[in-house]
Amino acid sequence: MAAGGTPKKAGSAIPPKKIMVFGILGSLIGIYAGHFLTIMFGPVFSFLGVLGAICAIVWGADTVRRVCSYGIGTGVPSIGMLAIGMGIVAALFGLEIGGIAGPVVALVIATIIGLIIGLLGNRIMKMGVPIMETATAEIAAAGTLTIVGVSTSMAGSFEIYNIVSHVVANGFIALVFIIGAIAILHPFNSNLGPDEKQDRTLAVAFVDGSIVMIVTGIVVAGVSIASAVPTLVIGLLIWIIAFTKYYSLVKRDAYKVVGTGLLPTEEELS
Amino acid sequence: MIDFAAIIAENILYLLLIIVGGLLVAIGVHFVPVGGAPAAMAQSTGVGTGTVQLAAGAGLTGLVAAGAVMQVTDNLLLVIASGMVGAMIMISSTMLLGNMIYIYGVGVPPASAKIKYDPITRDRQDLYISQGTEGHGVPTSCFISGVIGGGLGGLGGAMVYFALLSVTNGTSALNVIGLASIFSVAIFFINAVIASYNIGGTTEGFHDPKFKRLPKAVVSSIIVTFISGILSLITIGGL
Repeated sequence: MAAGGTPKKAGSAIPPKKIMVFGILGSLIGIYAGHFLTIMFGPVFSFLGVLGAICAIVWGADTVRRVCSYGIGTGVPSIGMLAIGMGIVAALFGLEIGGIAGPVVALVIATIIGLIIGLLGNRIMKMGVPIMETATAEIAAAGTLTIVGVSTSMAGSFEIYNIVSHVVANGFIALVFIIGAIAILHPFNSNLGPDEKQDRTLAVAFVDGSIVMIVTGIVVAGVSIASAVPTLVIGLLIWIIAFTKYYSLVKRDAYKVVGTGLLPTEEELS
Repeated sequence: MIDFAAIIAENILYLLLIIVGGLLVAIGVHFVPVGGAPAAMAQSTGVGTGTVQLAAGAGLTGLVAAGAVMQVTDNLLLVIASGMVGAMIMISSTMLLGNMIYIYGVGVPPASAKIKYDPITRDRQDLYISQGTEGHGVPTSCFISGVIGGGLGGLGGAMVYFALLSVTNGTSALNVIGLASIFSVAIFFINAVIASYNIGGTTEGFHDPKFKRLPKAVVSSIIVTFISGILSLITIGGL
């Protein structure tokens, strides 16, 4: 039943509040910087939006890790899909009515929707997960900021008409949906188990975030090379750093890391 | 400033359609035989993957089918029926292939441990259960339950899509199609996960004791779909 072994409170070396502040401030700064610098200096700075999305992804992954350690019974992927499902609704609504305050409005709306779903889960459906309400609110907010960040990067602005015509109408939004969901759910899903460690899980969150950035770079290459090149290069850099970090953490936590070599040839087998 | 009340008043019928659609998705998930991780090792009845994956596979196929038919006709019933049939075909082929792997690959007979006799074929179940497992494969009643679930899910998804597409708006058709499809996918996923939370991740179908928890999912689904329906309605209507 429990996805991550016996239900327990996950131990965190970095306190959840610190990661929450990092996620909210980091992504909002990234989104606003991406929006204004792109308008002022051109599309070269649009990568800042997806840089902000990486902060939100790390926050989301940490929350998924805390809530899924209790064993929600449905598997980790469901919560990532829920995050982005709530995120899409909140993000587009917030950007439309919020204007310049769009990302903040989206964040508030997402927190409210998440809180309601968390309350329904614990009070009506009796899931019995102690942190369900706050965790669902945090996940919804993280999903929303991820979507707004990546979309801002793709459209070069978070103004709703830009987003609708440059991200939604051409179908990029489907890509944003699935890469955002997987980036939030994958870190814990691939690290869960009795020896799960926060720093290792978050290292994968950075790896996933950088992959989101690389994919964003590839996608916008068809629209604007000036915005694609910095996104791709910085994404690759983050990927290399995060992956090296992750590999060193795997070596730290594993009993032994050995090379198995290539598959034996037919002659060697006989 | 966007006039919320006017948009909602103008599209109140579509809001109702969205709520009914979301509700159908949540109910449909309760019918689908989801085995989860144990079923992947042939240790419990159902298809060996999570609720969201199965529901999404069937529901999104339904959405694609509905979208394809919508290009040639604007008849509501035809669009919704094709969405329903698309989802039913998808879930059936998933269960059929899953069963082939369980029967010919793993080598287990499809059987359920939660009931003594299959409610449809009246076949004895407990004799065929391997020791230490909770059943395996997709027996007849689970299969039929799954087809019903896929149908309800596709019907609900297509209804949400059609309703969002019909909302009065002041923007181009392409924008509305994009918004309507991503919103219906989002509403679909939210309802699938809520239903999945309600059954605790695994179920066998309508004969499973967990099926009695359905009313809780209905209440939750109505509340959540109402909120997300209004938000998406205003987003599309306000453009």
